[in-house]
Formats: sequence, structure tokens, C-alpha cells
Amino acid sequence: MPRVTIDGRSVDVEPGTTILDAARKLGIEIPTLCHLADHDPETSCMACVVRVNGSASLTPSCARIAEEGMAVESEVEDIRAIRRMAFELLLSDHIGDCIAPCHHTCPAHMEIPLMLRQVSEGQMREALRTIKKDIALPAVLGRVCPEVCERTCRRTFYDHPASICMVKRIVADEDFASGDPYVPERAPASGKRVAVVGSGPAGLAAAYYLAQDGHEVVIYDARDEPGGALRYNVPEEKLPRGVLNAEIGIIRRLGVTFRMNTRLGSDLTLADLRGDFDAVFLGTGELEPGKAYELGLHAPGTRLPANLSTLETAAPGVFAGGDLVRRRRLAVRSIADGKIAAHGISRYLRGLKPEGESHGCASRMGQVDRETIDLLMTGKVSSEDRHVPQTGPSEGFTPTEARVESMRCLHCDCRAKDNCGLRDFSESYEAAQGRFKGSRRVLVPLQEGSRLIFEPGKCIACGLCVQITCKGGEPLGLTFIGRGFDMRIGVPFDRPIADGLTVTADACVNACPTGAIAFADSELLRQPWEPRVAVEDRVHD
Amino acid sequence: MNAPASLPIDPAPAAPRADLAPIETIVGKLGRTREQLIPILQAIQAHYRYLPKEALERVCALTEITPAQLVSVATFYKQFRHTPCGKHLIRVCHGTACHVSGAGAISEAFEKHLHLPPGQSTDAEGAFTLEKVACLGCCSLAPAVQIDDGVYGNLTPGAVPYVLEEVRRAEKQGSTNGDRPSRNGDGAFGEIRIALDSCCLARGADKVFASLQHVAERFRLPARVKPVGCTGLSCHAPLIEIVRPGLPRILYADIKPEDAEAIALRHFEPRSWCNRLRSAATRALDALVDDTLPARNALPAEAAPVREFLGRQLRLATEHSGEMNPLDLAEYQARGGFQALERAMKERTPDELIAEITKSGLRGRGGAGYSTGTKWRQVRDASGLTKYVICNGDEGDPGAFMDRMILESYPFRVIEGLAASAWAVGAREGIFYIREEYPLAVQRIEQAIARCEDAGILGRTESDSAPCFRVVRGAGAFVCGEETALIASLKGERGRPRLRPPYPSECGFRGCPTLVNNVETLALVSWILRNGAESFTKLGTPRSAGTKVFALAGKVRRSGLVEVPMGITLREIVEKLGGGVPNGKRLKAVQIGGPSGGCVPASLADTPIDYEALVDAGAIMGSGGMVVLDEDDCMVDIARYFLRFANDECCGRCSFGRIGSRRLLDILERICTGQGRPGDLDDMQRLGRAMKVACLCGLGKTAPNPVLSTLRHFREEYEAHLAGRCPAGRCKELIRYEIGESCIGCTLCAQHCPADCIPMAPYQVHTIDSAKCTRCDACRQVCPVDAVKVR
Repeated sequence: MPRVTIDGRSVDVEPGTTILDAARKLGIEIPTLCHLADHDPETSCMACVVRVNGSASLTPSCARIAEEGMAVESEVEDIRAIRRMAFELLLSDHIGDCIAPCHHTCPAHMEIPLMLRQVSEGQMREALRTIKKDIALPAVLGRVCPEVCERTCRRTFYDHPASICMVKRIVADEDFASGDPYVPERAPASGKRVAVVGSGPAGLAAAYYLAQDGHEVVIYDARDEPGGALRYNVPEEKLPRGVLNAEIGIIRRLGVTFRMNTRLGSDLTLADLRGDFDAVFLGTGELEPGKAYELGLHAPGTRLPANLSTLETAAPGVFAGGDLVRRRRLAVRSIADGKIAAHGISRYLRGLKPEGESHGCASRMGQVDRETIDLLMTGKVSSEDRHVPQTGPSEGFTPTEARVESMRCLHCDCRAKDNCGLRDFSESYEAAQGRFKGSRRVLVPLQEGSRLIFEPGKCIACGLCVQITCKGGEPLGLTFIGRGFDMRIGVPFDRPIADGLTVTADACVNACPTGAIAFADSELLRQPWEPRVAVEDRVHD
Repeated sequence: MNAPASLPIDPAPAAPRADLAPIETIVGKLGRTREQLIPILQAIQAHYRYLPKEALERVCALTEITPAQLVSVATFYKQFRHTPCGKHLIRVCHGTACHVSGAGAISEAFEKHLHLPPGQSTDAEGAFTLEKVACLGCCSLAPAVQIDDGVYGNLTPGAVPYVLEEVRRAEKQGSTNGDRPSRNGDGAFGEIRIALDSCCLARGADKVFASLQHVAERFRLPARVKPVGCTGLSCHAPLIEIVRPGLPRILYADIKPEDAEAIALRHFEPRSWCNRLRSAATRALDALVDDTLPARNALPAEAAPVREFLGRQLRLATEHSGEMNPLDLAEYQARGGFQALERAMKERTPDELIAEITKSGLRGRGGAGYSTGTKWRQVRDASGLTKYVICNGDEGDPGAFMDRMILESYPFRVIEGLAASAWAVGAREGIFYIREEYPLAVQRIEQAIARCEDAGILGRTESDSAPCFRVVRGAGAFVCGEETALIASLKGERGRPRLRPPYPSECGFRGCPTLVNNVETLALVSWILRNGAESFTKLGTPRSAGTKVFALAGKVRRSGLVEVPMGITLREIVEKLGGGVPNGKRLKAVQIGGPSGGCVPASLADTPIDYEALVDAGAIMGSGGMVVLDEDDCMVDIARYFLRFANDECCGRCSFGRIGSRRLLDILERICTGQGRPGDLDDMQRLGRAMKVACLCGLGKTAPNPVLSTLRHFREEYEAHLAGRCPAGRCKELIRYEIGESCIGCTLCAQHCPADCIPMAPYQVHTIDSAKCTRCDACRQVCPVDAVKVR
């Protein structure tokens, strides 16, 4: 059995083992996008390069057989730099957005394109679930939100943005109209208690997600009724109180206790709360000038300093969000803060370090020209202009109108955003897409099979699907077309994608290291892309 | 096998379908295996002049080749066209020599006069199809264009409409090329030798040959008209050499068919009495009218330029240059051919032969310079009953055509080298892989193999005692010069290199140990067999023994092929053999090694040439293309030229090759068009160095060399471009043309301007509308008083 040394650690391997597999045996992670067990090495991504026996040039570890006495270097800075460059080169010729511009812009990072797809297919309950994963009060926001997401909608380059906010509103309204509104499941009781101060949008959202995580939540508020600024500052004609009450009702049904007419500072102190509860969320809104000290807070002005990514304050276990920490008053921002703080608190309560939301977007398309837009407009996308509700803008869409409007979405999002090797490694190697600017491939319109999506613009020509379709005995399969930079993967004789993948679709989707071949419904494949580095200490919590 | 059922074909075809009957014939003749895929496609294209889709679908139905395999191969190789081809095929050479002589402007002129929309290659009438070719190998005719079978040299953009007109006129008149006569005079006392290699043919040598034969026959001259191989003096082709017993040889250069009779009759007395009278009359008339013609072209072999060109050379691979009939086996044998091999096979063991080759210090002439003996040893030692030897004739460097010349002029020599290697390593089968752009080389090797088979030197089948050889034509892919790509191509696959190890010496063609040697290497093997290893090691340098053939082109007075001992300096080649840089310009650099090589600056011209010294200077030996550059050449443009080539020829497999080389080119394009940014030079350096270590194959690893070497030696030129200036005045976007006060108003510039941007103004100083000017340089070239200036 040959013995090889990788980064100073030795391992005995079966004859014929590649350096990549030897490294895995040692638990050393070598990135690769084009390797698949039991398939010939493609040696196309070149991310797995290592240095063998001090040689000046590097070698792809997926194809090089380990030999007795070989000394391999992998985790060294110059090799990491080469790998980063490999990812940067691939990203420079990868057209598409990891996440859609609207999704990226939404302060709450709601997965808007998914919601629109669900609405367009009449799946209102699923759409609501998608919304409520990130937005605790959609019926409210559907009426008060300034529609930040719509400002970056790519459809604007064609005619007008998709009416996202109003679609979201009808989804939430329909849920209540159904008589059986959606109440999310609660995790088993954690045995932890969390105090939420302030029942405005931030506090309500925090309570909504904290309760789902199984914590006992008590909301304190100085006023008679919950809702904060939503109830006391927004006019009734803009936000009917019934809508607000209905959404607060869902939070009550999650088991959250409301203690009204209880003012921080006079009725109870922060010290009391920190003594009685395991964690505290402060969502009081902007402080009155000079009042901070009275409340037991160390705030220089009317706002409390906090880590704006995790919303932790200087005091352990005390989180804050909404207008208390941010200058810009925006209900959706406050609702997003409530969600972030809730996730942070849950991590804190489990003894983990709170993390900000990660919205890494390795690949972005940026501004596009009219020609590209015309290409994106093909297929199922409706070419009708933005709809206005028949009964007047203040009345909102009917479910039918919402469905028609949602068909205007260009679906800029990547269906493989949660199972993309290119995205994962680009993030971990800090590879920048803009590193190499230059000629890009021409965008080829997305092809939809019955359940498949083929986006050649995202293909990194790894070659795995060509091998899989060949081995799988496809009559047509996929093949390399052309050569060099312009080389593309496609079905022979310009046949549609479905003709090429008659029996190997699942295998190709699973192997595709990007979103070039994906299932049209991203929910079909929710597990993360298998980076095919079986490294035990790689923890996804 | 898993041959697919016939493909579902759309029931209602819109266009009339091609007649598919020939497909069955082709497949029946060539076979149904995947290995035959490229020959099948070549046969289909020969028939239809492109690859009709329905024909390809038919191939899948008739053979074991799957649609995926077929499409991947049919779209990989540049030879294959997928749209119908015009009646006439125009191939504009974009070799290095043509590039520095303005090939870009020639292509643009054709596009303009054929009214080709961007991305289209065939004109609206379907009369002309325009293509770019990497190199026609007519470097001394630069810029050159091949239209159908004819080559037009030294073209200018202004001449393009006349060339097109000529082709149209010829078509109307229905002119045909008559069959070339092939009979030689018998009982000759002397020889009229005429080189019939591709360079000479491109300049009309076949017509000269025909008229020489005609004269010899008509006047019954006491001379044999003998076709011979290349003399190397391509810049003076066609060449005639007069050989008379006991008299000095005389060389005539730049001969036209109408000169042939006068030259032949000047040196040989007609044997028939009445013809003698006629010829005397002709000669008298000639003398009266223009006796300067032959004299103008005569280059006595002792003349200084010829002596300098030929005298310093040392002919090993090209031994008996210009003396032998390439296809005369008896003549080859009379000069010792095949005898040394025969002796070796009788008196020595294969191991001894390998030891001899190893001792000679011969290194692969294809570029990398690996020890030939060691390579043979590895294949001999590799386990396996079946082994193969391959002659790599896929010479693709733009500006390099030495392998083509050797194959065309000395086919038996290369066959002997390959036969020796087959015997040494224990192979029974040999393959000549020759690029399809070299039809004459393919034909000569095929004919030479047939003659060797007739003589029993080669076998006809694998069961014969002698090895059997065959020719496989490449299909237009520079990357197939890389041995693993070449083998993939032989298997009927895309020519993609793979990771080595395993080397072909262990696992090559059909998974068997395979020896791949370059053409020139094999030609040298024959010489070593005959003269012994020691005579070889005496030549050259200690690290690089023997000689090397270079294709000398660019800014030199005498271009062509030269074979020189290793260790000679660049200066000696450029100044002595090449006659120096013409027009009083200064030598700036020599580009060596083509797209994998680099530019050696004039300051390093005294570098003795061997493998290692060239690497130290930032270039590589490569296959031996040598392009001389003068002060008018822009080094950034040269780097861009080679990067464009690398991009065109990249296989597309690995990320660094496919995207890296494009990103390097992107930056160069920016710099050449005045869009460069401050960080660009560092970016190129970083990316180039990464490609050198991380590309999968040798071609990718060396692709950045033209950039890195020019960055190293000519960084100030790059910086000037970043500042918006092209010091050599080549980069169109950074220059403008102006007409100075010295203009005499002759209107020539206005007449030649293809963009109509110079208003005709007789006897006045002309002006150029810079907005319309395409920077084609036509005006500057025609101006009789050098009034056109580039700023």
C-alpha cells in the first residue's frame, strides 16, 4: 500500500487511489467541482490542484494517482491563491444571480421569486409559508411597506416592476379569509425564558420567531394595546386595526404573553428583566432624549449602540432592534430585526455565538441590457404590463389578479442557490466575481423541460453531465459543442433538454455543481449540494 | 455495442434534403467504429463541402457512433463547416508573418467587398466563403490568401476587389487547371531541378514545371526535368536549378512559366536539328527584346547571398536539399537510405539501437526537447504485446512549416526514422498523423508508404514481418500537436489533452504503450543511423546536440527554411542567413516558438540557441518558428496576436486554459484599444503565472509566454499603451493618419483608400478624414514622397 504525505500527515492508501481520496482519508478538504465518484476525472475546474514533490507546476489531485513516498502540499497560501483564482475565473463566466435582486434588496430577505411562483400556481398556503419564514406580519406590511424590493426588480428594464408587495398582501389576507389561518409549529419547549420590551413591529417579530424556537416569551409594553407605532402612528384607513389584531392574534396563539401598561424604567428595570429572564430583546423604539440612563441603558443619544449584523448590545444576552438602534424608520426593517435578533438569541441560549444573516451572493448579473431582458422574457413569463387592482389600488388584488400579476416575475433567482458548489467555495475562498472583467458568454434563454431547468449561462463546463448521460445510455444525452471559451454543453442536434435527459435527469441535477441543470421547483431538491468532501469536522449546525 | 436506434427525425423537413446515399458508401468504405469518426466526417465534407445535419444523423444511424460523440467531434475541429460553403473558398492566412504584414486589413477588405454582415462567412450570392487560416505556410509571400487552389501573395487591401474580379472572370471563362504532365525526359545529360513543395506550388511552380517539361520534350533537350524537394529559399520560389556535368550549378529565382523556355534553352542545346534553328531564333529574339530577364533572376550558387543563405547551414534533417526527387525510392536508397536501418536490424539488438540514439543526445524537435532515446527506452520497457509508433505531423504553429517541408521533400527519410523506432520499441503498426492543411504532405507520405510496401520495406498488414504504416489526417486543431490530444483524436474523440501521468509510453493509443515522435526528430534519427551518434554529438552544444530547422520569416531580406547547428546565435541567423532587416530598419526582437514561445529582444541576439538558453531568455525552442520583428512592430500587438491564436485553439477543458487565456486576451484587447487600466499589467502577470502552473496541458501552461516575455523585455511599450500611445504606430485605436505638407497632390492615396476618406485633390495637399479612416495603411504604402505620417 503506497504511503503518501499530505501537508505533513501520512496515510496508507490502496494502490490506484487518487491524491484527492487520500486527502479525504486524512480529513483534509480539497475543493473540487468536477469530481464524481466512479466517474472518470474531468480535470476541468482545476480547483483541486496540489503540489506534488515540490514541483513548480501544480497537478489536479482528482486525477493524479498517489504513489509511494509522494509528498503533497495542499493547504498552503500560494495554492489557495490559485484555487481562489480558479473560482474567480469560473465566476467571471457564470451568468446569473445566486439570489434575485428583489430577494437581496428586501430588508427581511424574503424569498420573493419562490412566493411568486407559488402564487402563480395557485399554491397560496405554500406562498404564505414562504413569506412567514421571513416576515412575521405580512398583512400589515402589505399595507405599510414602501416596497423597497420592487425598486430593484429587473422587470423594470422591460416595463414596470412586479407588484410584489400587493401580492404578498393578498396571500396574507386570503390566509385569514380561509378561517383557518396558518400558525407555525413550535419547537419543543427549550426551558428558556425571553423578555421582549416593546410590542411594535420589531418586538412582535422577535416574539413570533422566539416562540417558534420553543422559548417562553413575555412581551412588555407601556401602552394599552400591542402594535406600537403600527397602532398609534399609522392612520386607520391605511392599516385597518382588524388586520393588525389578526396578525397579533397569531402571535398570541403561539403562546406569547402580553404584559401591557408596563413601562420600562418606572414599572420594571432592565436589571429585573435580566434577572428574571435568560435573554432580553429591546424593541422600544427611539428613546426620548436623556431617558437612556433612567432605563438602565448606556446610550449616548436616543439610540442604543448594537452590532448591526447580530443586534447584540454591549450587555450579554441583551439584544436590540428596530428604531431603537436604527435611524431610518422602516417597518420592514424592524420586522427583519426582530427575526435576526430572535435567531441570535436562540443561538445565544444554546451557547453558540450569534451570527448575522448570511446572504452571500457569489454571482450577480447586475444591470442588464434590453437584449438580455428580451431573452429573459421568453418562456412562461407574461408580457403584460403591471396590473392595477380593479377595485382601486387601496383595495388590493383579488386572488386571480395576484396570480396573473405573479406571472410577470422573471425568476432571476437561482434554483440551486442552496446547493451550489461554486457558491459555497467562492464564499469560503473569498473569490470575487468582479476580479476578472471581460467578455462574457451570451445569455442563452433558460430552457424548461417538464420539471427541469437548463440555464447554459450558469454552466461551468465541468463535463459531469456529459459523462452521466453517456454512461446512463441516453439516446441523445448531453455533449460538448464547439471548443475553447465558446464551448457549451447542449443536447446534440439542437434538441430540447428534455430529449437529452430522459432517464438521467436526477443524476445530472444532483451532480451539477451550479444551477445550470436544476429542478424547476427548487423545493424538490432542498438538501445542500454535496461538496463531495467527506470531512468529518465540517460542521453545519 | 450500444449502437443507438435511428434518431427521431422531424417528419416534415422545410429545406430540401441532401441526397444521403453517399453516406452509406462512405461508411461502408471507412467502417463503423468510433475510430473512423474523423475520416467519415472528412469524407462527408469532401462530398458536400460542409456537414449537413441530416447526413450526420444518418451516420449515427449507420454506425456505433452516438449523436453526443459525433456532435462533440464535428464541432471541435476547425476543418468542419456546418453551413453550406460558397462556390469559392477564400482562406486568408493569419500566420505570424502575414499578421505583421497586415493580414487583419486584408480580411477586413474581403469582408467589406463581399458585404459580409458580422458573424457571416458566406456572401449573399453564395459565391464566396471567407475563412481565416492559422497559416498557409507561404510566409515569404505575406500577406497571403488562398482562393480555391490558387495563392495570392503580397496582397494589399486595395488589391482585394481586383482579386475578386479576377476570380469571377476566370469562372465566366471556365478556365480549368490542366492535368500536370508527369513524364520525364530520358537519357538526360543534365538536370533541370525544380522544387515542388507547397511554398513553390503556391507561387506557381507547377506551371513552371509543366512548361519546362513541355520545352524539354519539344526540343528534346539533353536534360531531365526533375521535381525535387524544398531548397529552403522560399522567398525566391519558384526556383530552378540547372545542373550540368562538370559545370557550376546555376540557380534561377522567382521564375514565371513564360521564363522557363528561355532558361532551359540557354543552358541546353536542342537535340533535334530543326528545333535547334527555332530555338536559336527564339534566343536571338529574346536577346534583342529582353535578355535581362533570365539574367535578372539568375543566382549562381556561388553568389554571395545564396552562399550566405545556404553556406552556413548544416543539412541533416534536410540533407540533399533540392537534389532528390522526393518520391524516388531508388534514389533515396542510392544515397544510403534504408541501408543503415537494414544493417542495424541485422547486426544489432533493439536495445543497442536505443542506446545509440540516447548517446547521440537527440532531443525531441517538437518543442519540449525531451530525450528521444529515453522516450524509446520507456516504450520498449513498457509491458504489453501491442505497441504503436506515431509520427506527429500536426505542426500547427503559425509561421512554422519545417515539418511540412520535410514530409513533402524527404518522405522516405521520415518513414525510415519511424520504421527504426518501430523496430526499436517493438511496434508493428505506425501512424503518420498529418494535419489536413498539408494535402501535399499527406499525398507524398501515402505514395512513399506505397512504394515502400512494394519494395517490401513496409508490410501491408499487421501480420507481415515488416511494420505497416498508415496516414491519418488531422482536422484542424493546433492542440492535437500535444501527444495525449493527438491520441484522443486518433480514437475519434475531441482533441483534448489529459493529465500526464500516465504517459503515452505506458498508456497511449488503444490503451497500449505508444511512442510519439515529431517529424524532424524522425528525420534526424535516419541521419544518426547512417552517420553514428558521435557525428551527431559533435554538432551543436553539449546540452543540445545536432541541428535544428527554423522557419525564418518576418522582417528579413531572405526568408525560408534554414537548418543550422545548435549553438548558433540569433544574430547570425537574422543577419547572415536572413540578410538582415530590410529597409534600413532596426531589429527589435525575434519571436521564437510561436504561440508557446516568446520574444527575444535584440539586446539578447547573441544568445546561442539551445533549449535551455531560449527558456532563460523567456522563449522556447518550440517547433522552430522564427519571426523577425523590427521597430515598426508593436510588441503588445504581437502578444495579443498570439493570445488570440491560443484562444482560438484552446480545447476548452480546464478553467485556466479556457477562461484564463480569454481573460488575458481581454486585458490585451483593452490595452491595445486604449482602454487599459493601471492595474492591468500586474493582473496579466499574476494570471499568466497562475496559468503556467495550473493549466492542465503544456499548451495552456505556455500560452501566457508571449505576454510574459514581452512584459519582461518591453514593459515600457505596455506602459506607453496605458498612457494612450502605441510607439510602433500599429494599434489602430491609438493612432491617426495625417498627410504632411510634402504631399505633391498625386492622388494615389485617394485612389487606393478603401474607406473613401481621402478626397481627391489633384496638385493639392490631401487630407484624411480620421473619423472614416480604418487605419489600413494603404495610403502610406502608396505615397511616393512619404507624406503620409502615423501619429
